[in-house]
Amino acid sequence: MNRLIAGGLAAIAMSLLAGTANAETLRVALHGQAGIDAFTPTAERMEKELGVTVEIVEYPAPDKDYMTKLLTELAAGNAPDLFSIPGASDVADMVAAGYLAPVGAELAAWPGYKDFVDVAKQLAVSPDGETYVMPYILGIQQIYFRRDLLEKAGISTEQPKSWADLLDRAKEIKAKTGAYGLLFPAGTSWGGGAFAEGFSHLIIGSSTPQIVTDDGKFDLSGKGVLDVFQFYKDLIDNDLMPVDPLLGPEPWVIPKYEMFPKGELAATTCGSWCYIFDWGRESKNPIPNVTTVVGTWADPGQESGEFVLAGLGAPWAVNAKSANLELAKKALLETGSVDNQIETAARIGNIPSSNAVQADPRFQALTELVPIQAAANHGTYLKQATGMSAVSEGVARATEALLRKETAAAGAQAILVDYVKQTLGDEAVK
Amino acid sequence: MAFDAFQKRRERQLLRLLLPALIPLAVLIIYPALYSVYLSMTNEALTGLAAAKPRFVGAANYFRLFSDARFWNSLFVTFVFVVGSAIIGQFVIGFIAALALKRKIVGGSVFGAAILLPNAAPEVVAGFMWISMLAGGDHATLSKILIALGLPWADWLQTFPLFMVTMVNTWRGIGTAMILLTAGLSAVPTEVYEAARMDGANPRQMFMRITLPLMAPTIFLYMLISTVSTISVFGLVYALTRGGPGGKTEVISVYIYNQSFTNFQLGYGAAGAVVALVVSLALGIAYVRSLKVEV
Repeated sequence: MNRLIAGGLAAIAMSLLAGTANAETLRVALHGQAGIDAFTPTAERMEKELGVTVEIVEYPAPDKDYMTKLLTELAAGNAPDLFSIPGASDVADMVAAGYLAPVGAELAAWPGYKDFVDVAKQLAVSPDGETYVMPYILGIQQIYFRRDLLEKAGISTEQPKSWADLLDRAKEIKAKTGAYGLLFPAGTSWGGGAFAEGFSHLIIGSSTPQIVTDDGKFDLSGKGVLDVFQFYKDLIDNDLMPVDPLLGPEPWVIPKYEMFPKGELAATTCGSWCYIFDWGRESKNPIPNVTTVVGTWADPGQESGEFVLAGLGAPWAVNAKSANLELAKKALLETGSVDNQIETAARIGNIPSSNAVQADPRFQALTELVPIQAAANHGTYLKQATGMSAVSEGVARATEALLRKETAAAGAQAILVDYVKQTLGDEAVK
Repeated sequence: MAFDAFQKRRERQLLRLLLPALIPLAVLIIYPALYSVYLSMTNEALTGLAAAKPRFVGAANYFRLFSDARFWNSLFVTFVFVVGSAIIGQFVIGFIAALALKRKIVGGSVFGAAILLPNAAPEVVAGFMWISMLAGGDHATLSKILIALGLPWADWLQTFPLFMVTMVNTWRGIGTAMILLTAGLSAVPTEVYEAARMDGANPRQMFMRITLPLMAPTIFLYMLISTVSTISVFGLVYALTRGGPGGKTEVISVYIYNQSFTNFQLGYGAAGAVVALVVSLALGIAYVRSLKVEV
């Protein structure tokens, strides 16, 4: 009998110990081999400095599938402790859903945060004024063009002054080289890219550059939105943009990874990652001397002005229901380390948010990114609000209708407005 | 009196015997179906305010669904997909295969095994395999074969997306059709054929006047099963095209998935699922009632 009791007590003690051991394991969600490779050294540092076991859970790619799994697990209450969020436009909605733990106090007390560029800190602040994410890298987006192709055809490589100038340049490219002149990601297959890598480039330079009003509603009926869709329509109607690949299941593959390197597409919106991941040293189809062969233009304004689009690059966040909340917050700070920023920049090509990287020889070796990081603080960005995911999907649907030539610009705008109203309610749209 | 008591005891015994099947049925099928109906009347979502505080919206999701052109498009695509792959493709080829197997041709067993092979591959695996055959323009295996033969090629999943998806699903379902129809054929008494032959009937007459009428219950049972199962095909289409290009292959199951897990609107997606359930039920009831199929 005594043996039985002793055995039972031992079993209970072992299960308690096992429970303690589980409590010291941090589960981290990531996707894509490049991201995992970039994060692995940081995971090792976390284990060493925090005395925890870091379990990296590979989530599905592409981003849409990643978000589906992550949100489903967050809703079910069994999500990882720490995770990256591929689309920064999803952050406000995740905050509203109560999935993310506030980390503003921790970031304010963390010495490394003072070196972050202001634009990164501003982008990290949610509509409620609190910070929920570590804005460790930025996506600095512009228009990337094949300088070699344009110079060979005698086409100007000067910065376009306006949308009309940009459209004329695209027409000239098509006429003189036969290549598609300009790509703006569009359609539902591209997921959040239709909004973040396409629509956003134009709306910031339009007559209504912000779509979120001061009271957090969406103003989507403005002339700027209409003009943006008209610009898309002009590109499509004049056959300046490759349409068919955008309607396929992985719409970025053919234009970005095949047509642009071959010179069949002469210009496209992209971020600093294109110099490393898409066409640079980490690419499966690299363009030799990419920084020489491929030039950049800022996004021209509708009438005038130049804009460089800044956004958070896959910010890290802590699960509000994490069993290891405090530990996860400490780990979050490690994701903001200069080391992690540089390792991520080297693998993926995003721009580190900390000015401290400028003094680091490892970052100085990334010659493609150094000038972009120095200019990061001049980036322009769209104000965020709860419901941004719906706007993003609405833009994808509206641009898909344009791709399929089912509607004019006004019809596309109506699709966007109707979708957002149906999803968020009439009261969410001004 | 004693008989009544015996009857009641027997009924209780039967209920006890059925319980192991009834409990999972109630927990895993009936409850989720009823919960879907409830969910379809809320604005429940996976993210945003509605995830934290979902509210009852009545029939609003249904009104929205019926005014959504993409939903009607998905119903049309599903109709073409079901008629093309299940009713025409799988049935016709499966029936031919079943007839061929009945004739004891040389290599019949190998033929039967080969035609069953597509069923061994899971939906998604089959989908990815066919992507390598069809996707990528001149890089696709099919295009390379045609180029080698000097024939024109196409970007198959872009140019003929619904036809290609229908063809792949036909390929995958032939085995099931063949098994069911072979079973039906073997149930037709050989004496009837012998009598017809003695009366001078030719093969065509025997097929039209004996085989088909006697096979009718089996054929329509197959139609019922294949229609309902094809309406719910998801993995194959999602792996091949994700519903694209431009919604041209967005069958109802992919539409529901896209609304629920890509747009994260669980309530709205549930409304689509309820409609799909009603359509499947209606088709099933119509088959059973109009043809008096014993199931």
